[in-house]
Amino acid sequence: MTPDEAADLIQAIATRQDRASFAELFRHFGPRVKAFLMRGGSDPETAQEVAQEALILVWRKAASFDRTRASAATWIYTIARNKRIDLLRRAGRPPIEVEDWLTIFAPEEEGADKSILAGQTYARVKELMEGLSADQLAVIRKAFFEDKTHTAIAEEMNLPLGTVKSRIRLALGRLRERLEEEDR
Amino acid sequence: MSRHPAPDELLLDYATGALPEGPALVLALQCALDPATRRTVGQLRDIGGALLEQEDGPAFEESALEQVLAKLDGVAVDSPPVSVPAAAPRGFEWAPAPLVPYLGTAPRWRKVLGGFERMPIRLAHDTHRVELLRLEPGHGLPVHHHVGEEYTIVLQGGFTDSTGNYGVGDFATGPGSQDHEPIADPGSACIALIVLEKPIVLTGPWGRWFNPLVKRGWL
Repeated sequence: MTPDEAADLIQAIATRQDRASFAELFRHFGPRVKAFLMRGGSDPETAQEVAQEALILVWRKAASFDRTRASAATWIYTIARNKRIDLLRRAGRPPIEVEDWLTIFAPEEEGADKSILAGQTYARVKELMEGLSADQLAVIRKAFFEDKTHTAIAEEMNLPLGTVKSRIRLALGRLRERLEEEDR
Repeated sequence: MSRHPAPDELLLDYATGALPEGPALVLALQCALDPATRRTVGQLRDIGGALLEQEDGPAFEESALEQVLAKLDGVAVDSPPVSVPAAAPRGFEWAPAPLVPYLGTAPRWRKVLGGFERMPIRLAHDTHRVELLRLEPGHGLPVHHHVGEEYTIVLQGGFTDSTGNYGVGDFATGPGSQDHEPIADPGSACIALIVLEKPIVLTGPWGRWFNPLVKRGWL
């Protein structure tokens, strides 16, 4: 499913509560969300439950999806991540949804280049990730799958904190460099 | 673009939702004030989306879809959110949106020394000590050093210390165990949010006398 196709399906839900579009999204993203959560250590039953709940949220929040700001996969990732945090009710997590903090100010941003759609940035990020080293990728994947801080990752992987930091900085530096190169 | 963005590893922790409330608030404030930081966090979330898309778990049973579709009968699609950030209290118009819910209705500065005021910020989860500091131009903080991590975000004015000059939207970490003495820049008063890891509990024979003071933030 391309980012555009996924975005169209979400829009169909938003504009006319289209159940067929939802079914298509569910078939595509349901198993992905479940597999993603299981990589983070969820058992299959919990992962299935969170995946279903997350997709119900996709239905409910469809009208707040803005394809110029986030790709469908990124948006659904954020919803699933928040749902997992909710369920685990882990202490010390921000009470306000991080995604809201990120979007509140976005409309006021001047000179934002709307011609580069979020879906395209997403596609490029996806492609550029293939250029990362195995070491860098291991740290990044662990961060996303298990939503652990870099400090916790260093402890768990038995690596010095400095090593983890430098892998993250190299990986991000590379992504940033490539994205900027392509923007020129 | 902020001359002092938060380090990449913190941006990553923020994007994955792993950061505890105190540091997450600092990062949210930098996102609110600095478009480049916001862009980076957006790209990081795209990594999350890309990792999700790459998964290929076994297809769900059709019965799972039927169950969920049955649930949707009673679930309306929410109308699009009208994102009007809550208004900041009077005298706190400089406060970016993510800070406003923490200010309450009648926030008040407490005078510490001439030209130096502070205001504690209460978190929903008590993992860090958070406070707003307000320094009149030319005034400084007493020389001090930190035991835990310290994160600072400048919200108005600016300050200078041995590590550099920091303006609105800039992120600073303390210089570790070195002493530092930040001085507010000329112009408007410097207002910054400081997040400290809970101070280390002192050990040794004097610990039991000093720890209550540390806990109250007096040491």
